[in-house]
Amino acid sequence: MTSYDLITAAADNLWRMKLRSILTMAGVLIAIAAFVSMLSFGAGNQQYVNDQFEKFGLLTTMQVFPEEDKNGSDSVKAKVLNDSALALLAQIPGVRLAYPLEAFEIEAKLGDSAATLNAQAISSEVARTAAMSQYLAGTRFENDSAHQAVVTRDFVKRMGIAEADSAVGRELVVTARLVRIDSAWAAIISDKDGAIRKRLRAIDRDSIFEPGYMMGLLRRETSEALRRFYSGLMNNRELVTETLTISGVIPGRHESPMRIEQVILPLATARRLNDGDISMSPASLMSSFSSGSLPDMFAPKEGKSYPKVTLDFDPHTPFKSVRDSVKALGFKTYSFAEQFEEIQKMFIYFDMALGMIGLIALVTASLGIANTMIMSILERRREIGVLKALGADDSDIRRIFLYEAAAIGTLGATFGIIVGWGIARVASFVAQSFMRREGVEAIELFATPWWLIGIALGFGIVVSLLAGYYPARRAARLDPVESLRNE
Amino acid sequence: MTEPWIATKELCRYYQRGPQEIRAVDSVNLNIARGEFVGIVGSSGSGKSTLLNLLAGLDTPTSGSIAVGATVLSALSRRGLAGYRARQVGMIFQTFNLLPHHTALRNVEVALYFNDTPRNERHKRASEILTNLGMGDRLEHRPNALSGGEQQRVAIARALVKRPEVIFADEPTGNLDYENARQIAALLTDLNKEGLTVVMVSHDLELARSICSRIIKMHYGRVVEDSGAQR
Repeated sequence: MTSYDLITAAADNLWRMKLRSILTMAGVLIAIAAFVSMLSFGAGNQQYVNDQFEKFGLLTTMQVFPEEDKNGSDSVKAKVLNDSALALLAQIPGVRLAYPLEAFEIEAKLGDSAATLNAQAISSEVARTAAMSQYLAGTRFENDSAHQAVVTRDFVKRMGIAEADSAVGRELVVTARLVRIDSAWAAIISDKDGAIRKRLRAIDRDSIFEPGYMMGLLRRETSEALRRFYSGLMNNRELVTETLTISGVIPGRHESPMRIEQVILPLATARRLNDGDISMSPASLMSSFSSGSLPDMFAPKEGKSYPKVTLDFDPHTPFKSVRDSVKALGFKTYSFAEQFEEIQKMFIYFDMALGMIGLIALVTASLGIANTMIMSILERRREIGVLKALGADDSDIRRIFLYEAAAIGTLGATFGIIVGWGIARVASFVAQSFMRREGVEAIELFATPWWLIGIALGFGIVVSLLAGYYPARRAARLDPVESLRNE
Repeated sequence: MTEPWIATKELCRYYQRGPQEIRAVDSVNLNIARGEFVGIVGSSGSGKSTLLNLLAGLDTPTSGSIAVGATVLSALSRRGLAGYRARQVGMIFQTFNLLPHHTALRNVEVALYFNDTPRNERHKRASEILTNLGMGDRLEHRPNALSGGEQQRVAIARALVKRPEVIFADEPTGNLDYENARQIAALLTDLNKEGLTVVMVSHDLELARSICSRIIKMHYGRVVEDSGAQR
């Protein structure tokens, strides 16, 4: 028997038992619809995450942090991310760009609104990376010394502007306070109002060699020196103001996996604003005081240290080789690609869990197919006998029934895929309407890719064939004489 | 004597029914030549239908052998026997055994599914043979729309369409009235005259004598009389 004969025979036989065939197919249809709609949810989420990673170029981005190096003693010393470390990182094979996080506190004024926040400096080269190229409005700044700035949507909203487009071209006044270390040192030794003389006079010379007195004196004087240092630092800051034009608006922290500050400045422009000896907020400075790491910031041979360096590497370079090279230099890494792998694994488990629910339904439906086929064999014993008398061999009979099972599976799965896709579309519409009502960006949570359609169709057919195999084998083994005798 | 074509040697077919062994066919030795019209007669339970099923390759013997030409049926696999039925044998049944959901034409075409006849030729051959048997205006009728005689003609067409070497007919007139039985008997006689070997089982000795060239009488599984053996 040719495949054409088998297909037409299967169609004839299913058509002959319309109601039974439709009910059996309905079982497969429901199972496949559940399978498709649930996995569409998994696939939609996965696609959304993949798109985000690709959009921001996260698979070729790695962040490098100083590694805390615990040596034999209790002291904790950080491996510093400075300019020499930056140069080493830039030389790692596959790394296209290594740039530090240079952030400093500014006061930004846009129209009547003002806010104190952190600005980030990036070079025009960095501005061209995928991570920094997601413009909601406008575009990147022209060059490193342009009087321009890129801001985030968070900033625009904070400044009371609803639409990103409206912010482009507006004037942004940025003020930074430069901190001079000289003024801090000067404050310690300053004898303003005879303060030092008064303190010298207050020393009890008779008790100066008593250990308890000496220690108390040292503690008091050190504390006083630090107070004066900080006071000198903070009270003698120099104000620098630049008037810039907003060239573009990018997604904010909540919309981007990159930890981007609210105002992005061209590198040279930022350095004009941040030309002080230290670029720290008062709170950070106090923290450095208490941890004892303040002197490291002024070590001239090491240069400036950075809290984070971002690497942009070639897409053909495996992230693992870049990560291993960075670790070999003694730094910690945070790789989006590594996170991506973990996320992919989670999606596989998630999809498997969803798929299992659909498969359980499909297994239940397969019992219906097996039942239908067995009933069909009992009713068609005589027909099987006739076909064998006409020359059908066991494999012909087996194939007749397997084609019927496959036809049930194919039709059930095809309609199941259509219904499952429909359910996913309806669910997506409802979810997006809800998101819009809640003021959240409406994202597509459902996707029915070709591979899912293929798997659903494959599962439908394979499970149906498995369900039909035993009845088909039973039919094939029927004795023709017995079958013909059957009334 | 004519060269034997179908030959059985000590052919036995036993059934076990509980503790009892039923000897449906018991040590049958037969030689049938090409072109013979053999009638196997006997009372109910004499083993004539079992013998026919064995010769048609529908059943396998408990012991002994059947040879059709150079082919030893008892040595063939299930698949081999199916091939023998598909290419060399035409079967006619008392109850016609037409597929009720197919038309007369399709019922005849089905016989060509298993012998590699091309699809376009099946239709042509089936309609030709039905027309030759006077069923040209009944091609698209289903069995329930045909009389008993017409159904048996369709069954004969189904047996003939694959151009078999032998027709095995099991009580072909058993379910027909006198007139239809006479017509079917005449048809089988004509086919035999054209050179086709026919082996027919019947409980009607008179009918068998009137149309068959040789009568084999069976009783309790054994051949008790064979008119051909004396020839």
